[in-house]
Amino acid sequence: MPELAQGRLAPDEPTAARPGPPSLKLAPPRASWSRSEDVGTAAMIAATWGLLVVVSALHRGDFLSRQTLLSVTFTMAIVGVLAVGQALVAMSGGILDLSVQTALILPAWVAVSLLARGVNILLVILAALAAGGAWGLLNALIIVFGKLNPVIVTLGTNFAGAAVLNILFQSAQTPISSGLAKWGSGTFLALPNIFWPMVAIVALAGYFVPRSRAGRHMVAVGGNPQAARTRGISLRKTRFSVFVASGILSGCAALLFAASNLNFVPNDGSTFLLPTLASVIVAGIALSGGVGNLWMILLSVGLLSTVPTSFAFFGFSDTWQMVPPGVILVIAVSIDGYRRARSRR
Amino acid sequence: MAHIPTLGSRWRQRSLAVAAMAPLVALALTATNGTGAVAAASSTPFKVCMGTGGQGINWETGQGVVLQSLAQKEGWSSVVLSNNNSASTALSNVEVFIQDHCNAVVEFNPAPSANAVMAAKLAAAKIPAITYDIGQPGWYFVGIDNLKAGIAGGQMLGKIIKSKWNCDPDLIIASNAAGAGVVNTERTGGMITGVLDECPGIAKAKIVNFEGGGQTSVSLPAARAVLAAHPSASKIAVVGINDSGVVGGLEAAEQLGRASNLIGWGQDGSLVTGPNVDPHLAGSVFYFLEGYPEATLPLLKEIAAGHAPAVRDNTHNNPAVSLQPCPVTAAQAHKVPDYSARLKAMQKAAPGTTEYALFCPNK
Repeated sequence: MPELAQGRLAPDEPTAARPGPPSLKLAPPRASWSRSEDVGTAAMIAATWGLLVVVSALHRGDFLSRQTLLSVTFTMAIVGVLAVGQALVAMSGGILDLSVQTALILPAWVAVSLLARGVNILLVILAALAAGGAWGLLNALIIVFGKLNPVIVTLGTNFAGAAVLNILFQSAQTPISSGLAKWGSGTFLALPNIFWPMVAIVALAGYFVPRSRAGRHMVAVGGNPQAARTRGISLRKTRFSVFVASGILSGCAALLFAASNLNFVPNDGSTFLLPTLASVIVAGIALSGGVGNLWMILLSVGLLSTVPTSFAFFGFSDTWQMVPPGVILVIAVSIDGYRRARSRR
Repeated sequence: MAHIPTLGSRWRQRSLAVAAMAPLVALALTATNGTGAVAAASSTPFKVCMGTGGQGINWETGQGVVLQSLAQKEGWSSVVLSNNNSASTALSNVEVFIQDHCNAVVEFNPAPSANAVMAAKLAAAKIPAITYDIGQPGWYFVGIDNLKAGIAGGQMLGKIIKSKWNCDPDLIIASNAAGAGVVNTERTGGMITGVLDECPGIAKAKIVNFEGGGQTSVSLPAARAVLAAHPSASKIAVVGINDSGVVGGLEAAEQLGRASNLIGWGQDGSLVTGPNVDPHLAGSVFYFLEGYPEATLPLLKEIAAGHAPAVRDNTHNNPAVSLQPCPVTAAQAHKVPDYSARLKAMQKAAPGTTEYALFCPNK
């Protein structure tokens, strides 16, 4: 039986305008890699992570300490939450959201500004989430209704957003005496407080995306938009919702950022773009959409966050410490390309 | 049933997208006005033009504000453009300055790889140039003596290490910003030299450099990794290229539960004033960077009068204007007004008044 080639439609492109026999059977959207693919990806990341830990521990026995654990888990927290938002965008066929800098710093600035005015912490949290959601909404409006490439749009909105951030403030500080700052440097069950919201977000997203109607719609739209539309799924609504959800997740990440990074400037968010993208790609989430298991993000973020600490144990010079993230991104993109080529065969 | 959009609905969709973009465009245009070209009285013949840093640090914008205020007091016109921390932007800004017939150009260009080309273009256009802190042959050098500033801060920290730990710290971590080149070498290296001046017996193995990028968000995770790699160190000192980098190191130690014996000394004074000073930041060195244009005034006046002095570009330690670093303890820093108040004071100050003279408690 012939199948429609996997292709892309603009969100509001009329299916009726496409010629084709009415009896044509459409391939179902792939909700994920198969279970064996998931196991393979998890095994590969875990093995690499394990190898890194073993080699580091053989080099220096004190690598296996609570200090290392704290160092790695603090680093994981913010990147992990951002990676979930980025993964949702990728899985829905939105390719990438390059506005990480503004998406992180805008809600963080909103949060610390309100904290400095003595606003209740619950309202601060809601305001930060709303600011992140508003940023996602802005991207969604331009991308979905303008039918524009998400990569170009988010690159552009990020430039404009960064300019606006520079007008809004030059530097921001989380009040040291605030509950958010105290919570941000604290621990729970021997791990940083800011680590646990990330774990919860990854776990919830990993559970609900393949099991909920909205999650399945998102994966279907990313995997085969034509088939998804034929099944009555609104591409526009789905992609719109995904960008807004990604923005809200950026708001969550911004709260963790403001809690643990007490001084920041508008340009600070740019340092999170590369590890976020690398985490998504290493986790096996296809930038081509429709494929991915969000739980893998825990492994990929863990691996990538261990690298700098491991390098420090090996005593590599400060210049070398900038190399691993770039190299890992190139390797991850290569793996993603290989997977896509293999999935076409 | 497939929905076939009508012309009207398509128009509405486009309108929505345009409407979504409109606020951003409007705000971005506002941003351009904020840091962009501002011309003063057009009748004045002398025009001073400046490329500011554009790294998102307040004093960089402040330098442009003070320069414009100074130009207004002198009856000059001024143009201020942001270099956006980009070599290509700095170069295109210089081309704009040449086309705009500027009589003198002032640069703070933290991405100096295009400086040689910029210098050649300005020389061809016979426009004298002044550079802040980052030297360029052929340009008047105005700036802090970074090595002197680094050593002064290091010596202050060294005195604390001597009195508190009897010159026996377990670890000194240094937050570098390699991209700043010689400024990093002189300032961060100077801090180490200053500490060793006071405590010459500290072993080199106890001093660990790491890349902090001059930003808390970069310095913090890097410092966490370095501290994790030295788990037995309890008496920890932090130095660095600027306050942001040092505070990143201090926050890292606090997050790892290593703050019981922790001190840091910063550079640039950006985070040692105000209500949120890190309790472990013992002091910093003020440069009063936003006030640089005021110190440049005598030089600009000579150029405006047509008597440009011989260029002193600091290639042989001969700066055109050398600014005094002002090391202060955190307690003394409380007496120094914060950035916004200093900026306002400089805008109102009589010509020739330096920030050092106004605000340094350790003159």
